[in-house]
Amino acid sequence: MGSRILFVVMIILALLAPQVLDVFWVNTLIQILCLGLLALSVDLLLGQTGIFPFGQGAFFAVAAYTVAILQVRLGQPTYLAAPAGLAAAVILALVYGLAVRTSGVYFLLVTMAMGHIVWGVSVRWVALSGGDNGIGNIPYPQIGSFVIKGASPYYYVVLTVVVLCMLGYRVLIRSPFGVTLRGIRESESRMRALGYSVGAHKYVAFLISGALAGLAGVLYVYFNRLVSPSTASLHVSVEAALMVIIGGSGTIFGPFIGSAVILILRNYVSGHLVQWMTVMGLVFIVTVLWAPDGLLGLVRRIRIKESGRLRQKGSRRA
Amino acid sequence: MTENAIEVADLTKSFGGVHAVDGVSMKVPCGERRAIIGPNGAGKTTFFNCVTGRLIPNSGKIFIFGKEVTRLAEHQRVAMGIGRTFQITNIFPKLTVLENILLAVQGTKRQKWVFHRSITSFAESQARATEELNRVGLAHRVSHTVQHLSYGERRQLEFALALACRPRLLLLDEPASGLSPGERQRIAEIISQLPRHITIILIEHDMSVAFGLADQVAVLHRGSIIFEGTPDQVQANSQVREVYFGDV
Repeated sequence: MGSRILFVVMIILALLAPQVLDVFWVNTLIQILCLGLLALSVDLLLGQTGIFPFGQGAFFAVAAYTVAILQVRLGQPTYLAAPAGLAAAVILALVYGLAVRTSGVYFLLVTMAMGHIVWGVSVRWVALSGGDNGIGNIPYPQIGSFVIKGASPYYYVVLTVVVLCMLGYRVLIRSPFGVTLRGIRESESRMRALGYSVGAHKYVAFLISGALAGLAGVLYVYFNRLVSPSTASLHVSVEAALMVIIGGSGTIFGPFIGSAVILILRNYVSGHLVQWMTVMGLVFIVTVLWAPDGLLGLVRRIRIKESGRLRQKGSRRA
Repeated sequence: MTENAIEVADLTKSFGGVHAVDGVSMKVPCGERRAIIGPNGAGKTTFFNCVTGRLIPNSGKIFIFGKEVTRLAEHQRVAMGIGRTFQITNIFPKLTVLENILLAVQGTKRQKWVFHRSITSFAESQARATEELNRVGLAHRVSHTVQHLSYGERRQLEFALALACRPRLLLLDEPASGLSPGERQRIAEIISQLPRHITIILIEHDMSVAFGLADQVAVLHRGSIIFEGTPDQVQANSQVREVYFGDV
Protein backbone atom coordinates (compact mmCIF):
# COMPACT_ATOMS: atom_id res chain seq x y z
CA MET A 1 0.00 0.00 0.00
CA GLY A 2 2.83 2.38 0.87
CA SER A 3 4.50 1.86 -2.48
CA ARG A 4 1.25 2.51 -4.30
CA ILE A 5 0.84 5.85 -2.55
CA LEU A 6 4.44 6.67 -3.38
CA PHE A 7 3.79 5.81 -7.01
CA VAL A 8 0.77 8.12 -7.16
CA VAL A 9 2.74 10.94 -5.51
CA MET A 10 5.50 10.50 -8.04
CA ILE A 11 3.02 10.57 -10.92
CA ILE A 12 1.59 13.83 -9.58
CA LEU A 13 5.06 15.32 -9.23
CA ALA A 14 5.95 14.11 -12.69
CA LEU A 15 2.83 15.70 -14.17
CA LEU A 16 3.54 19.03 -12.47
CA ALA A 17 7.25 19.09 -13.30
CA PRO A 18 7.16 21.12 -16.53
CA GLN A 19 5.08 23.79 -14.82
CA VAL A 20 7.72 24.48 -12.16
CA LEU A 21 11.01 23.52 -13.78
CA ASP A 22 12.81 25.30 -16.57
CA VAL A 23 13.50 23.83 -20.00
CA PHE A 24 16.92 22.52 -19.02
CA TRP A 25 15.41 20.31 -16.35
CA VAL A 26 12.47 19.19 -18.47
CA ASN A 27 14.94 18.11 -21.14
CA THR A 28 16.94 16.28 -18.49
CA LEU A 29 13.77 14.53 -17.33
CA ILE A 30 13.05 13.40 -20.89
CA GLN A 31 16.54 11.95 -21.12
CA ILE A 32 16.14 10.27 -17.72
CA LEU A 33 12.93 8.60 -18.91
CA CYS A 34 14.29 7.47 -22.30
CA LEU A 35 17.56 6.11 -20.97
CA GLY A 36 15.76 4.71 -17.94
CA LEU A 37 13.61 2.68 -20.31
CA LEU A 38 16.76 1.42 -22.00
CA ALA A 39 18.13 0.49 -18.57
CA LEU A 40 14.86 -1.30 -17.80
CA SER A 41 15.36 -3.40 -20.91
CA VAL A 42 18.81 -4.35 -19.60
CA ASP A 43 17.35 -5.29 -16.23
CA LEU A 44 14.74 -7.60 -17.74
CA LEU A 45 17.72 -9.74 -18.71
CA LEU A 46 20.11 -8.94 -15.88
CA GLY A 47 17.88 -8.58 -12.84
CA GLN A 48 15.09 -10.96 -13.84
CA THR A 49 16.73 -13.61 -16.00
CA GLY A 50 20.25 -13.46 -14.61
CA ILE A 51 22.10 -12.88 -17.89
CA PHE A 52 24.20 -9.77 -18.44
CA PRO A 53 23.75 -8.10 -21.84
CA PHE A 54 26.39 -5.66 -22.97
CA GLY A 55 24.91 -4.57 -26.29
CA GLN A 56 21.39 -3.24 -25.74
CA GLY A 57 22.54 -0.03 -27.41
CA ALA A 58 22.31 -1.95 -30.69
CA PHE A 59 18.49 -2.00 -30.54
CA PHE A 60 18.38 1.55 -29.25
CA ALA A 61 20.47 2.75 -32.19
CA VAL A 62 18.83 0.63 -34.90
CA ALA A 63 15.41 1.99 -33.92
CA ALA A 64 16.75 5.56 -33.87
CA TYR A 65 18.45 5.24 -37.26
CA THR A 66 15.35 3.63 -38.80
CA VAL A 67 13.21 6.55 -37.67
CA ALA A 68 15.80 9.03 -38.93
CA ILE A 69 16.19 7.38 -42.32
CA LEU A 70 12.44 7.09 -42.85
CA GLN A 71 11.57 10.63 -41.76
CA VAL A 72 14.55 12.54 -43.14
CA ARG A 73 15.64 10.59 -46.22
CA LEU A 74 12.33 9.07 -47.29
CA GLY A 75 10.00 11.74 -45.97
CA GLN A 76 7.74 9.28 -44.21
CA PRO A 77 5.34 10.47 -41.49
CA THR A 78 5.75 9.74 -37.80
CA TYR A 79 2.93 7.21 -37.62
CA LEU A 80 4.90 5.01 -40.03
CA ALA A 81 8.45 5.83 -38.97
CA ALA A 82 8.01 5.28 -35.24
CA PRO A 83 6.47 1.78 -35.48
CA ALA A 84 9.02 0.93 -38.16
CA GLY A 85 11.80 1.87 -35.75
CA LEU A 86 10.36 -0.43 -33.14
CA ALA A 87 9.90 -3.20 -35.71
CA ALA A 88 13.52 -2.85 -36.82
CA ALA A 89 14.69 -3.35 -33.24
CA VAL A 90 12.53 -6.46 -32.86
CA ILE A 91 13.79 -7.92 -36.16
CA LEU A 92 17.36 -7.37 -35.02
CA ALA A 93 16.51 -9.04 -31.70
CA LEU A 94 15.12 -12.07 -33.56
CA VAL A 95 18.56 -12.51 -35.14
CA TYR A 96 20.73 -11.40 -32.23
CA GLY A 97 18.69 -13.64 -29.94
CA LEU A 98 21.03 -16.47 -30.91
CA ALA A 99 23.26 -15.02 -28.22
CA VAL A 100 21.17 -16.74 -25.54
CA ARG A 101 22.80 -19.98 -26.53
CA THR A 102 25.80 -18.68 -24.62
CA SER A 103 25.96 -17.85 -20.95
CA GLY A 104 27.94 -15.92 -18.37
CA VAL A 105 30.87 -13.94 -19.64
CA TYR A 106 30.47 -15.40 -23.14
CA PHE A 107 26.99 -13.92 -23.38
CA LEU A 108 28.44 -10.59 -22.28
CA LEU A 109 31.12 -10.73 -24.97
CA VAL A 110 28.78 -11.91 -27.72
CA THR A 111 26.25 -9.16 -27.02
CA MET A 112 29.05 -6.61 -26.82
CA ALA A 113 30.29 -7.76 -30.23
CA MET A 114 26.77 -7.55 -31.62
CA GLY A 115 26.49 -3.97 -30.41
CA HIS A 116 29.83 -3.22 -31.95
CA ILE A 117 28.66 -4.52 -35.32
CA VAL A 118 25.82 -2.00 -35.33
CA TRP A 119 28.26 0.77 -34.43
CA GLY A 120 30.59 -0.34 -37.20
CA VAL A 121 27.80 -0.28 -39.78
CA SER A 122 26.72 3.18 -38.62
CA VAL A 123 30.24 4.50 -39.14
CA ARG A 124 31.07 2.79 -42.45
CA TRP A 125 27.84 2.50 -44.39
CA VAL A 126 27.86 6.21 -45.06
CA ALA A 127 25.18 6.16 -47.74
CA LEU A 128 22.71 4.67 -45.28
CA SER A 129 23.74 6.18 -41.99
CA GLY A 130 25.47 9.41 -42.88
CA GLY A 131 28.72 8.10 -41.42
CA ASP A 132 30.29 10.09 -38.61
CA ASN A 133 27.96 13.01 -39.20
CA GLY A 134 24.92 10.89 -38.66
CA ILE A 135 21.48 12.04 -39.67
CA GLY A 136 20.24 15.34 -38.30
CA ASN A 137 17.30 17.69 -38.75
CA ILE A 138 14.90 15.00 -37.74
CA PRO A 139 11.50 16.69 -37.80
CA TYR A 140 9.32 17.06 -34.74
CA PRO A 141 7.01 14.08 -34.27
CA GLN A 142 3.64 14.62 -35.84
CA ILE A 143 0.38 12.77 -35.24
CA GLY A 144 -2.10 13.73 -37.93
CA SER A 145 -1.86 17.51 -38.09
CA PHE A 146 -0.71 17.87 -34.48
CA VAL A 147 3.00 18.63 -34.24
CA ILE A 148 4.65 17.90 -30.91
CA LYS A 149 7.02 20.81 -30.66
CA GLY A 150 8.82 21.88 -27.53
CA ALA A 151 10.11 20.25 -24.39
CA SER A 152 6.92 20.20 -22.29
CA PRO A 153 4.55 18.58 -24.82
CA TYR A 154 7.11 15.96 -25.74
CA TYR A 155 7.86 15.33 -22.08
CA TYR A 156 4.22 14.33 -21.55
CA VAL A 157 4.33 11.97 -24.51
CA VAL A 158 7.46 10.28 -23.21
CA LEU A 159 6.09 10.16 -19.66
CA THR A 160 2.90 8.46 -20.84
CA VAL A 161 4.75 5.86 -22.88
CA VAL A 162 7.23 5.13 -20.10
CA VAL A 163 4.55 4.83 -17.40
CA LEU A 164 2.59 2.43 -19.63
CA CYS A 165 5.77 0.40 -20.11
CA MET A 166 6.38 0.30 -16.38
CA LEU A 167 2.84 -0.90 -15.72
CA GLY A 168 3.18 -3.54 -18.44
CA TYR A 169 6.56 -4.57 -17.04
CA ARG A 170 4.99 -4.96 -13.60
CA VAL A 171 2.34 -7.30 -15.02
CA LEU A 172 5.03 -9.23 -16.87
CA ILE A 173 7.25 -9.87 -13.88
CA ARG A 174 4.34 -11.08 -11.76
CA SER A 175 3.11 -13.45 -14.44
CA PRO A 176 4.07 -17.12 -14.76
CA PHE A 177 6.52 -16.09 -17.48
CA GLY A 178 8.13 -13.55 -15.15
CA VAL A 179 8.50 -16.02 -12.29
CA THR A 180 9.94 -18.49 -14.80
CA LEU A 181 12.64 -15.96 -15.69
CA ARG A 182 13.55 -15.56 -12.04
CA GLY A 183 13.63 -19.33 -11.69
CA ILE A 184 16.14 -19.41 -14.54
CA ARG A 185 18.16 -16.74 -12.78
CA GLU A 186 18.24 -18.78 -9.58
CA SER A 187 18.97 -22.21 -11.02
CA GLU A 188 18.92 -23.15 -14.70
CA SER A 189 19.64 -26.79 -13.92
CA ARG A 190 16.65 -26.99 -11.60
CA MET A 191 14.43 -25.42 -14.22
CA ARG A 192 15.47 -27.98 -16.81
CA ALA A 193 14.78 -30.75 -14.32
CA LEU A 194 11.28 -29.31 -13.91
CA GLY A 195 10.53 -29.43 -17.63
CA TYR A 196 11.32 -25.88 -18.77
CA SER A 197 13.01 -25.17 -22.08
CA VAL A 198 15.39 -22.62 -20.64
CA GLY A 199 16.72 -21.51 -24.02
CA ALA A 200 13.26 -20.75 -25.38
CA HIS A 201 12.35 -18.61 -22.38
CA LYS A 202 15.63 -16.70 -22.55
CA TYR A 203 15.05 -16.06 -26.25
CA VAL A 204 11.61 -14.58 -25.65
CA ALA A 205 12.98 -12.44 -22.81
CA PHE A 206 15.68 -11.24 -25.19
CA LEU A 207 13.03 -10.27 -27.75
CA ILE A 208 10.99 -8.30 -25.21
CA SER A 209 14.16 -6.63 -23.99
CA GLY A 210 15.11 -5.68 -27.55
CA ALA A 211 11.65 -4.24 -28.12
CA LEU A 212 11.87 -2.08 -24.99
CA ALA A 213 15.32 -0.87 -25.98
CA GLY A 214 14.02 -0.06 -29.46
CA LEU A 215 11.09 1.85 -28.01
CA ALA A 216 13.55 3.84 -25.90
CA GLY A 217 15.48 4.59 -29.08
CA VAL A 218 12.39 5.84 -30.89
CA LEU A 219 11.50 8.13 -27.97
CA TYR A 220 15.07 9.37 -27.74
CA VAL A 221 15.58 10.14 -31.40
CA TYR A 222 12.59 12.49 -31.52
CA PHE A 223 14.02 14.28 -28.50
CA ASN A 224 17.58 14.53 -29.75
CA ARG A 225 16.54 15.01 -33.39
CA LEU A 226 19.94 13.74 -34.38
CA VAL A 227 21.33 10.24 -34.57
CA SER A 228 24.99 9.40 -35.03
CA PRO A 229 27.44 6.55 -34.38
CA SER A 230 27.76 7.67 -30.77
CA THR A 231 24.16 6.50 -30.33
CA ALA A 232 25.41 3.01 -31.13
CA SER A 233 28.62 3.17 -29.14
CA LEU A 234 29.57 0.77 -26.37
CA HIS A 235 29.25 3.70 -24.00
CA VAL A 236 25.45 3.65 -24.31
CA SER A 237 25.21 -0.04 -23.41
CA VAL A 238 27.68 0.26 -20.55
CA GLU A 239 25.91 3.28 -19.13
CA ALA A 240 22.57 1.48 -19.25
CA ALA A 241 24.09 -1.36 -17.21
CA LEU A 242 25.55 1.13 -14.75
CA MET A 243 22.15 2.71 -14.30
CA VAL A 244 20.69 -0.66 -13.38
CA ILE A 245 23.41 -1.38 -10.85
CA ILE A 246 23.32 2.04 -9.23
CA GLY A 247 19.55 2.19 -9.02
CA GLY A 248 18.88 -1.38 -8.02
CA SER A 249 18.65 -4.51 -10.14
CA GLY A 250 15.51 -6.62 -10.07
CA THR A 251 13.16 -3.70 -9.47
CA ILE A 252 11.00 -1.52 -11.71
CA PHE A 253 12.11 1.87 -10.39
CA GLY A 254 15.78 1.01 -9.95
CA PRO A 255 16.82 1.55 -13.58
CA PHE A 256 15.10 4.95 -13.58
CA ILE A 257 16.72 6.01 -10.33
CA GLY A 258 20.08 5.02 -11.74
CA SER A 259 19.26 6.94 -14.89
CA ALA A 260 18.44 10.01 -12.82
CA VAL A 261 21.72 9.78 -10.89
CA ILE A 262 23.83 9.50 -14.02
CA LEU A 263 21.99 12.17 -15.97
CA ILE A 264 22.01 14.66 -13.14
CA LEU A 265 25.74 14.07 -12.81
CA ARG A 266 26.24 14.45 -16.53
CA ASN A 267 23.94 17.37 -17.23
CA TYR A 268 24.08 19.36 -14.01
CA VAL A 269 27.15 18.52 -11.99
CA SER A 270 29.30 18.76 -15.11
CA GLY A 271 28.42 22.42 -15.27
CA HIS A 272 29.79 23.02 -11.80
CA LEU A 273 32.59 20.53 -11.51
CA VAL A 274 35.17 19.68 -14.12
CA GLN A 275 35.84 16.35 -12.44
CA TRP A 276 32.24 15.19 -12.67
CA MET A 277 33.31 11.95 -14.30
CA THR A 278 35.49 11.21 -11.30
CA VAL A 279 32.42 11.69 -9.16
CA MET A 280 30.50 9.26 -11.37
CA GLY A 281 33.28 6.71 -11.04
CA LEU A 282 33.28 7.12 -7.27
CA VAL A 283 29.50 6.72 -7.13
CA PHE A 284 29.85 3.47 -9.02
CA ILE A 285 32.67 2.15 -6.81
CA VAL A 286 30.81 3.06 -3.63
CA THR A 287 27.66 1.36 -4.94
CA VAL A 288 29.44 -1.85 -5.84
CA LEU A 289 31.26 -2.01 -2.50
CA TRP A 290 28.55 -0.91 -0.08
CA ALA A 291 25.26 -1.12 -1.92
CA PRO A 292 25.50 -3.90 -4.52
CA ASP A 293 21.71 -4.02 -4.61
CA GLY A 294 21.74 -0.40 -5.68
CA LEU A 295 20.01 2.53 -4.04
CA LEU A 296 16.68 0.72 -3.87
CA GLY A 297 18.36 -2.26 -2.28
CA LEU A 298 19.90 0.04 0.29
CA VAL A 299 16.48 1.52 1.09
CA ARG A 300 15.05 -1.96 1.43
CA ARG A 301 17.78 -3.03 3.84
CA ILE A 302 17.32 0.05 5.97
CA ARG A 303 13.57 -0.59 6.14
CA ILE A 304 14.15 -4.21 7.18
CA LYS A 305 16.56 -3.10 9.89
CA GLU A 306 14.10 -0.47 11.09
CA SER A 307 11.23 -2.94 11.29
CA GLY A 308 13.47 -5.43 13.10
CA ARG A 309 14.44 -2.77 15.63
CA LEU A 310 10.80 -1.79 16.15
CA ARG A 311 9.86 -5.38 16.76
CA GLN A 312 12.63 -5.75 19.31
CA LYS A 313 11.36 -2.74 21.19
CA GLY A 314 8.00 -4.45 21.37
CA SER A 315 6.11 -1.74 19.56
CA ARG A 316 3.71 -2.64 16.78
CA ARG A 317 4.41 -1.73 13.17
CA ALA A 318 2.01 0.87 11.77
CA MET B 1 1.27 -51.13 -17.91
CA THR B 2 3.53 -53.94 -18.93
CA GLU B 3 6.33 -51.77 -20.18
CA ASN B 4 9.29 -50.92 -18.02
CA ALA B 5 9.52 -47.51 -16.44
CA ILE B 6 13.21 -47.40 -17.22
CA GLU B 7 15.29 -49.60 -19.43
CA VAL B 8 18.97 -48.92 -19.69
CA ALA B 9 21.20 -50.89 -22.04
CA ASP B 10 24.97 -50.91 -21.73
CA LEU B 11 25.19 -47.31 -20.55
CA THR B 12 28.64 -45.76 -20.43
CA LYS B 13 29.62 -42.28 -19.36
CA SER B 14 33.27 -41.31 -19.11
CA PHE B 15 35.00 -38.16 -18.01
CA GLY B 16 38.40 -38.34 -19.61
CA GLY B 17 39.83 -41.63 -18.43
CA VAL B 18 37.33 -42.07 -15.62
CA HIS B 19 34.47 -44.43 -16.46
CA ALA B 20 31.88 -43.03 -14.07
CA VAL B 21 29.23 -45.32 -15.50
CA ASP B 22 30.70 -48.43 -17.09
CA GLY B 23 28.37 -50.59 -19.14
CA VAL B 24 25.37 -50.48 -16.84
CA SER B 25 22.24 -52.34 -17.89
CA MET B 26 19.08 -52.17 -15.82
CA LYS B 27 15.36 -52.71 -16.16
CA VAL B 28 12.94 -51.21 -13.67
CA PRO B 29 9.32 -52.30 -14.13
CA CYS B 30 6.55 -49.79 -13.57
CA GLY B 31 5.49 -49.47 -9.98
CA GLU B 32 8.66 -50.95 -8.56
CA ARG B 33 10.59 -49.39 -5.71
CA ARG B 34 14.30 -49.79 -6.41
CA ALA B 35 17.20 -48.64 -4.32
CA ILE B 36 20.63 -47.99 -5.75
CA ILE B 37 23.39 -48.17 -3.20
CA GLY B 38 27.13 -48.05 -3.45
CA PRO B 39 30.17 -46.27 -2.08
CA ASN B 40 30.73 -42.60 -2.89
CA GLY B 41 32.08 -42.22 -6.40
CA ALA B 42 30.38 -45.40 -7.58
CA GLY B 43 28.54 -43.53 -10.33
CA LYS B 44 25.05 -43.37 -8.83
CA THR B 45 24.42 -39.66 -9.42
CA THR B 46 26.07 -39.82 -12.85
CA PHE B 47 23.68 -42.65 -13.68
CA PHE B 48 20.73 -40.46 -12.64
CA ASN B 49 22.09 -37.57 -14.68
CA CYS B 50 22.26 -39.77 -17.79
CA VAL B 51 18.73 -41.03 -17.26
CA THR B 52 17.24 -37.55 -16.85
CA GLY B 53 19.30 -36.09 -19.66
CA ARG B 54 21.52 -33.78 -17.72
CA LEU B 55 24.45 -35.67 -19.21
CA ILE B 56 24.71 -37.31 -22.61
CA PRO B 57 26.19 -40.80 -22.33
CA ASN B 58 29.14 -41.93 -24.42
CA SER B 59 27.37 -45.11 -25.44
CA GLY B 60 24.32 -47.17 -24.64
CA LYS B 61 20.59 -46.62 -24.86
CA ILE B 62 17.99 -45.31 -22.47
CA PHE B 63 14.27 -46.02 -22.68
CA ILE B 64 11.69 -44.33 -20.51
CA PHE B 65 8.18 -45.81 -20.53
CA GLY B 66 9.12 -47.72 -23.64
CA LYS B 67 10.31 -44.70 -25.62
CA GLU B 68 13.97 -44.24 -26.54
CA VAL B 69 15.21 -41.00 -25.06
CA THR B 70 18.97 -41.33 -25.43
CA ARG B 71 19.27 -38.14 -27.49
CA LEU B 72 16.27 -36.32 -26.07
CA ALA B 73 16.76 -33.05 -24.15
CA GLU B 74 16.32 -33.05 -20.39
CA HIS B 75 13.20 -30.89 -20.27
CA GLN B 76 11.51 -33.07 -22.88
CA ARG B 77 12.17 -36.23 -20.85
CA VAL B 78 10.85 -34.54 -17.72
CA ALA B 79 7.63 -33.79 -19.58
CA MET B 80 7.11 -37.56 -19.86
CA GLY B 81 6.53 -37.57 -16.12
CA ILE B 82 9.79 -37.57 -14.20
CA GLY B 83 10.37 -35.90 -10.87
CA ARG B 84 13.84 -35.64 -9.43
CA THR B 85 15.63 -34.55 -6.30
CA PHE B 86 19.28 -33.52 -6.34
CA GLN B 87 21.95 -34.79 -4.00
CA ILE B 88 23.09 -31.21 -3.34
CA THR B 89 19.97 -29.19 -2.68
CA ASN B 90 19.02 -27.40 -5.89
CA ILE B 91 16.16 -25.00 -5.32
CA PHE B 92 15.60 -21.28 -5.89
CA PRO B 93 17.31 -19.37 -3.05
CA LYS B 94 15.96 -15.86 -3.53
CA LEU B 95 12.39 -16.87 -4.32
CA THR B 96 9.69 -17.62 -1.78
CA VAL B 97 8.63 -21.15 -0.92
CA LEU B 98 5.38 -20.55 -2.79
CA GLU B 99 7.20 -19.38 -5.92
CA ASN B 100 9.47 -22.42 -5.72
CA ILE B 101 6.59 -24.84 -5.66
CA LEU B 102 4.55 -22.96 -8.25
CA LEU B 103 7.49 -23.19 -10.65
CA ALA B 104 7.50 -26.94 -10.09
CA VAL B 105 3.75 -27.21 -10.59
CA GLN B 106 3.66 -25.24 -13.84
CA GLY B 107 6.84 -26.77 -15.25
CA THR B 108 5.09 -29.03 -17.70
CA LYS B 109 2.05 -26.83 -18.26
CA ARG B 110 1.36 -24.29 -20.97
CA GLN B 111 0.67 -21.84 -18.14
CA LYS B 112 4.37 -21.04 -17.93
CA TRP B 113 4.13 -18.98 -21.12
CA VAL B 114 1.38 -16.68 -19.86
CA PHE B 115 2.64 -13.13 -19.37
CA HIS B 116 -0.48 -11.07 -18.84
CA ARG B 117 -1.90 -12.57 -15.65
CA SER B 118 -0.47 -12.82 -12.18
CA ILE B 119 0.91 -16.27 -11.32
CA THR B 120 -1.24 -16.39 -8.20
CA SER B 121 -4.43 -16.12 -10.26
CA PHE B 122 -4.21 -19.72 -11.44
CA ALA B 123 -6.42 -21.46 -8.91
CA GLU B 124 -5.62 -25.01 -9.93
CA SER B 125 -1.88 -24.48 -9.60
CA GLN B 126 -2.32 -22.72 -6.27
CA ALA B 127 -4.35 -25.66 -4.95
CA ARG B 128 -1.75 -28.14 -6.15
CA ALA B 129 1.03 -26.10 -4.56
CA THR B 130 -0.80 -25.92 -1.23
CA GLU B 131 -1.40 -29.68 -1.34
CA GLU B 132 2.30 -30.44 -1.83
CA LEU B 133 3.41 -28.00 0.84
CA ASN B 134 0.99 -29.56 3.30
CA ARG B 135 2.31 -33.01 2.48
CA VAL B 136 5.87 -32.09 3.45
CA GLY B 137 4.80 -29.78 6.26
CA LEU B 138 6.00 -26.47 4.83
CA ALA B 139 2.65 -24.71 4.49
CA HIS B 140 3.51 -22.33 7.33
CA ARG B 141 6.60 -21.11 5.46
CA VAL B 142 4.79 -20.33 2.25
CA SER B 143 5.79 -16.67 1.94
CA HIS B 144 9.29 -17.04 3.34
CA THR B 145 12.31 -16.77 1.13
CA VAL B 146 14.23 -20.02 0.80
CA GLN B 147 17.36 -18.30 2.09
CA HIS B 148 15.68 -18.16 5.50
CA LEU B 149 14.86 -21.85 5.63
CA SER B 150 16.83 -24.38 7.65
CA TYR B 151 18.72 -27.14 5.86
CA GLY B 152 16.07 -29.70 6.77
CA GLU B 153 13.31 -27.47 5.46
CA ARG B 154 15.20 -26.96 2.21
CA ARG B 155 15.52 -30.73 1.75
CA GLN B 156 11.78 -31.01 2.33
CA LEU B 157 11.16 -28.34 -0.29
CA GLU B 158 13.51 -30.14 -2.69
CA PHE B 159 11.38 -33.22 -2.18
CA ALA B 160 8.14 -31.28 -2.67
CA LEU B 161 9.44 -29.89 -5.98
CA ALA B 162 9.97 -33.42 -7.26
CA LEU B 163 6.42 -34.44 -6.36
CA ALA B 164 4.67 -31.27 -7.49
CA CYS B 165 4.28 -32.22 -11.14
CA ARG B 166 2.66 -35.58 -10.26
CA PRO B 167 5.44 -37.69 -11.76
CA ARG B 168 5.04 -41.29 -12.88
CA LEU B 169 8.72 -41.84 -12.20
CA LEU B 170 10.53 -40.45 -9.20
CA LEU B 171 14.31 -40.30 -9.03
CA LEU B 172 15.40 -39.51 -5.50
CA ASP B 173 19.09 -38.74 -4.95
CA GLU B 174 19.82 -39.16 -1.25
CA PRO B 175 16.61 -37.48 -0.09
CA ALA B 176 17.49 -38.12 3.55
CA SER B 177 21.04 -36.79 3.49
CA GLY B 178 21.84 -34.36 6.25
CA LEU B 179 18.47 -34.77 7.95
CA SER B 180 17.83 -35.42 11.61
CA PRO B 181 16.37 -38.84 12.56
CA GLY B 182 12.89 -37.32 12.94
CA GLU B 183 13.10 -35.65 9.54
CA ARG B 184 14.37 -38.87 7.96
CA GLN B 185 11.42 -40.71 9.43
CA ARG B 186 9.06 -38.20 7.94
CA ILE B 187 10.58 -38.43 4.47
CA ALA B 188 10.52 -42.25 4.64
CA GLU B 189 6.85 -42.13 5.63
CA ILE B 190 5.96 -39.78 2.81
CA ILE B 191 7.74 -41.99 0.27
CA SER B 192 6.10 -45.16 1.53
CA GLN B 193 2.67 -43.54 1.33
CA LEU B 194 3.04 -42.50 -2.29
CA PRO B 195 0.63 -44.20 -4.72
CA ARG B 196 1.88 -47.56 -5.87
CA HIS B 197 1.72 -46.77 -9.58
CA ILE B 198 4.63 -44.32 -9.17
CA THR B 199 7.96 -45.96 -9.92
CA ILE B 200 10.62 -44.89 -7.48
CA ILE B 201 14.37 -45.19 -7.87
CA LEU B 202 16.18 -44.16 -4.75
CA ILE B 203 19.86 -43.49 -4.12
CA GLU B 204 20.50 -43.69 -0.42
CA HIS B 205 23.26 -44.30 2.09
CA ASP B 206 20.84 -44.65 4.97
CA MET B 207 20.16 -48.40 4.92
CA SER B 208 17.05 -48.28 7.08
CA VAL B 209 15.44 -45.86 4.64
CA ALA B 210 16.68 -47.67 1.54
CA PHE B 211 15.92 -51.24 2.58
CA GLY B 212 12.69 -50.26 4.28
CA LEU B 213 11.28 -48.90 1.03
CA ALA B 214 12.86 -51.02 -1.69
CA ASP B 215 11.50 -54.04 -3.54
CA GLN B 216 14.81 -54.49 -5.32
CA VAL B 217 18.29 -53.17 -4.64
CA ALA B 218 21.11 -52.59 -7.14
CA VAL B 219 24.64 -52.23 -5.85
CA LEU B 220 26.96 -50.01 -7.87
CA HIS B 221 30.74 -50.04 -7.52
CA ARG B 222 33.18 -48.16 -9.73
CA GLY B 223 30.55 -47.64 -12.41
CA SER B 224 29.31 -51.24 -12.64
CA ILE B 225 26.49 -53.12 -11.02
CA ILE B 226 28.05 -55.80 -8.87
CA PHE B 227 24.82 -57.24 -7.49
CA GLU B 228 21.06 -56.96 -7.83
CA GLY B 229 18.50 -58.53 -5.56
CA THR B 230 16.09 -58.08 -2.68
CA PRO B 231 17.25 -56.18 0.40
CA ASP B 232 17.81 -59.46 2.29
CA GLN B 233 19.85 -60.95 -0.54
CA VAL B 234 21.97 -57.82 -0.74
CA GLN B 235 22.68 -57.78 2.95
CA ALA B 236 23.69 -61.43 2.85
CA ASN B 237 26.00 -61.18 -0.16
CA SER B 238 29.65 -61.27 0.86
CA GLN B 239 31.02 -59.22 -2.04
CA VAL B 240 28.60 -56.41 -1.25
CA ARG B 241 29.50 -56.55 2.41
CA GLU B 242 33.16 -56.23 1.57
CA VAL B 243 32.77 -53.37 -0.85
CA TYR B 244 30.14 -51.36 0.93
CA PHE B 245 29.74 -52.30 4.55
CA GLY B 246 33.40 -52.87 5.17
CA ASP B 247 32.87 -56.39 6.49
CA VAL B 248 35.31 -59.13 5.61
